[in-house]
Amino acid sequence: MEAVQHFTELAKQVVGFIYPNEIEIHWSILIVVYPYITGLVAGAFILASLVKVFNVKELQPTYRLALLTALAFLLIAPLPLQLHLGRPERSFEMFLTPQLSSAMAMFGFVYLWYLMVVLLLEIWFEYRRDMIVWSGEATGVKKWALKILSLFSTDVSEKAVAFDKKTVKIITVIGIPSAFLLHGYVGFIFGSIKANPWWSSVMMPVVFLFSAIVSGIAIVMLLYMIVVPLRGGKIDMQCLDKMASFLFYAVIVDFSIEVLDFIHRLYESEESIKILSALVETKLFMSLVILQILLGMLLPLGVMVVIRVFKLQEEVRKLLYFVCGLLIQLGIFSTRWNVVIGGQLFSKSFRGLTTYKMELMGIEGLLVAVALLIIPFVILAVLLNLLPPWKKEELARTT
Amino acid sequence: MKFLQKLPEQALRILVVFVILATGMLLVRQFVIPADMKDMTLIQTATMEREADKEAKYAGAAVCVQCHEKQQEIKRGGYHRDLSCESCHDAAQKHADSPTEVKPVSPRKRDYCVYCHSYNASRPTGFPQINPDTHNPRKPCITCHNPHNPKPTQPPRSCAACHAQIERTKAASYHAQLACTVCHTTPEKHKTEPRTVTPTKPDKREFCGKCHSEGKGAKGVPTVDMATHGEKYVCWQCHYPHMLGGI
Ligand code: HEC
Ligand code: HEC
Ligand code: HEC
Ligand code: HEC
Ligand code: HEC
Ligand code: HEC
Ligand code: HEC
Ligand code: HEC
Repeated sequence: MEAVQHFTELAKQVVGFIYPNEIEIHWSILIVVYPYITGLVAGAFILASLVKVFNVKELQPTYRLALLTALAFLLIAPLPLQLHLGRPERSFEMFLTPQLSSAMAMFGFVYLWYLMVVLLLEIWFEYRRDMIVWSGEATGVKKWALKILSLFSTDVSEKAVAFDKKTVKIITVIGIPSAFLLHGYVGFIFGSIKANPWWSSVMMPVVFLFSAIVSGIAIVMLLYMIVVPLRGGKIDMQCLDKMASFLFYAVIVDFSIEVLDFIHRLYESEESIKILSALVETKLFMSLVILQILLGMLLPLGVMVVIRVFKLQEEVRKLLYFVCGLLIQLGIFSTRWNVVIGGQLFSKSFRGLTTYKMELMGIEGLLVAVALLIIPFVILAVLLNLLPPWKKEELARTT
Repeated sequence: MKFLQKLPEQALRILVVFVILATGMLLVRQFVIPADMKDMTLIQTATMEREADKEAKYAGAAVCVQCHEKQQEIKRGGYHRDLSCESCHDAAQKHADSPTEVKPVSPRKRDYCVYCHSYNASRPTGFPQINPDTHNPRKPCITCHNPHNPKPTQPPRSCAACHAQIERTKAASYHAQLACTVCHTTPEKHKTEPRTVTPTKPDKREFCGKCHSEGKGAKGVPTVDMATHGEKYVCWQCHYPHMLGGI
């Protein structure tokens, strides 16, 4: 009887028909945070690679910032998953007893590869010379921290520095496919779930990737506009404009791919189309139509067009870029929300919808999610302090 | 070794770090992780054993019959023959183990039967559904229906008793005025033994033509040219006869 009573209690959050195990949503807001954060990592790295591999000179001031941002977020990226699964302290065992047939377990190795072989190595070679120099100037804990971080290396000869530069470039070249893999894989995990028509799509990795690039560029842009003035520097408008134009194109590509996916689904009109349109029209209307598409994509696109067409003044431009950056973050977070939560809101019988009730306090709750989104910024602050991205002269330089 | 000498100092340092990490991991895997954690089949068996060890709560329908032949006998011939005892009496393994100490619950109130018998669009066609607010309200269902054989005292009056969804869609379609029996000749026995005695269904285009072919139609009935309209297909391949809103 108890089971039946509990069931009817829950059934109130349901419209139409739904299987009993679909009423409660299991992948909570933590699973929304996770692809959002990995997306920021991949996107920030792609921005950094524009400087090294594609030689976009204007973006040089953001290179190190982008790398540190990627690292700060990457360190936290697995945490939402580990908290969701429980027993985070055991998660390293995944590497010791590899399970080849599990897509999720193999993601651990993709993550490990990206952290150890790509990001940490690149940052290490990039900063090695500076770390040696700084550790000479610093005192106390900071001195030793820098010494340990540089692995007590001492060679600052021209030859050694040239080797560093070359290595950084090679790692970036390896890094681009790795970044694609990192976030494409997140999309793959959703896209490969055959039973769920909202997820099951070969477009999924691609959609994830481009939204990642969008969010990554936007976050570095925001950080650049915040951190540089905080450090007493002047924002390099040429760099900002360039970043904004890359952002503009990335949003366009991202938007077109999503529209393509949408049209494809409509034309295919599989048996799930009715419930999916009901989903979009009711449960996801706010987060998909309003937040993701209107506020998160079309509005920033429009604003950026206005900026370009009317050649606005510097101060206005800055303000608008900042607003665009925020809107895009909001939009991409909604994108993740719509994928993760949206995919669980409808019944596999295609005849009913359920509701997601978010906790506030619990481990799967809103507060934990907010904390997870704040920690990377704390880490970033520490990193920026230890490994400043700009030299004094660079900050003072005006363009 | 020559290769190592040629490497710059810093590359060597980083290489050493990586080698230490990798060997560390391999050593831990080799010596610290117990063998059965590395063996996939063992892990799977362990999982199965863990599941099997869980306390059983449901005894299963076959068990109840051993002691409750009378109820089983009543239920066997009735409408509830396909229900398992425990879907009404709740998990009863404990009762089966010690019948006199633990008594299963019996749902005597109205609200329980309604979980299955209130109207819901997704219930299969032919499933008996009532509106609990109007169907003999307030009295417990079991005053009139024996829960083990809930045969009503008289057969249901309307087709809607069991075809609630069709009735509701038809009521909102162009055919709202047509009785079900215009298109389905229904023997009275269908209402008591619905699966053994079934009504007829239209099987030819001409059936709809009785009212819809050009020239024949009564006033106000839209007509079509039977020879060309819809070609060789039966009409309900395009027009769902109970839901004529669409086309
Ligand atoms: C080992 C024999 C045995 C089995 C197996 C068994 N029962 Fe019983 N059951 C009894 C006996 C004996 C009584 C009468 C107890 C009394 O009146 O003191 C009883 C009583 C009941 C009652 C009436 C309780 C009441 O409040 O008077 C229900 C309902 C019931 N059983 C359901 C079930 C169901 C359902 C199952 C199958 C899961 C089941 N039983 C299996 C022996 C059994
Ligand atoms: C549709 C729900 C339902 C199903 C299925 C069902 N029961 Fe019952 N059962 C009841 C209700 C309700 C009562 C209480 C009747 C009363 O108090 O008059 C009851 C009473 C009983 C009793 C008490 C004695 C009696 O006959 O009133 C026993 C024993 C029993 N059921 C056994 C079983 C067994 C064994 C099965 C499976 C073969 C079964 N029941 C299936 C609803 C159900
Ligand atoms: C677990 C679901 C379930 C529960 C609970 C349940 N029933 Fe039923 N009931 C059925 C099924 C299944 C049928 C058979 C339908 C068929 O033959 O297609 C049925 C048939 C009936 C019929 C026959 C209707 C007819 O004329 O064909 C009546 C009356 C009925 N139930 C009354 C009750 C009462 C009273 C209760 C509460 C004690 C109850 N049911 C609880 C599933 C349930
Ligand atoms: C006063 C006696 C009485 C009570 C109380 C009662 N019924 Fe009925 N029930 C009948 C009669 C008589 C019929 C058959 C005639 C008809 O269609 O109304 C019937 C028919 C049914 C049918 C077959 C479908 C139909 O509409 O004909 C179902 C299902 C049913 N009842 C379930 C229930 C349920 C569930 C309850 C409790 C919520 C309940 N009944 C309470 C007398 C009763
Ligand atoms: C007691 C419940 C009940 C009542 C009352 C009832 N039916 Fe049915 N009907 C059923 C069931 C059960 C089926 C079989 C469904 C299946 O096998 O999928 C069915 C099947 C049918 C079918 C399809 C037969 C086939 O061969 O596919 C038609 C047509 C139909 N009913 C018409 C009617 C009409 C018209 C009425 C009213 C005059 C009516 N029924 C009243 C239970 C009922
Ligand atoms: C205009 C004629 C017409 C009327 C009126 C009509 N039906 Fe039908 N019905 C059909 C046709 C045509 C089919 C489809 C036959 C086929 O697919 O072979 C059908 C199929 C069915 C079926 C079996 C398939 C299914 O959808 O489950 C049931 C049950 C049924 N009708 C019940 C009813 C009931 C109950 C009513 C009254 C509420 C009703 N019908 C009124 C023409 C009609
Ligand atoms: C007993 C006569 C009768 C039979 C048999 C009948 N119909 Fe009708 N049908 C009507 C009437 C009367 C209307 C118009 C109702 C109105 O407009 O209020 C109608 C309306 C329609 C319409 C809506 C036309 C519009 O205006 O869009 C369609 C389609 C249709 N019927 C299809 C069918 C099909 C298919 C069948 C065979 C399964 C069928 N009818 C059998 C009497 C009948
Ligand atoms: C190949 C699909 C198809 C088939 C088969 C078909 N129809 Fe239609 N029917 C349509 C479409 C589409 C329309 C609405 C467009 C139009 O008016 O031509 C329609 C319209 C109608 C209308 C409304 C005409 C009006 O003037 O408003 C009637 C009545 C009708 N059909 C009856 C029938 C009957 C009776 C049959 C079987 C003999 C039948 N249809 C078979 C597709 C079909």
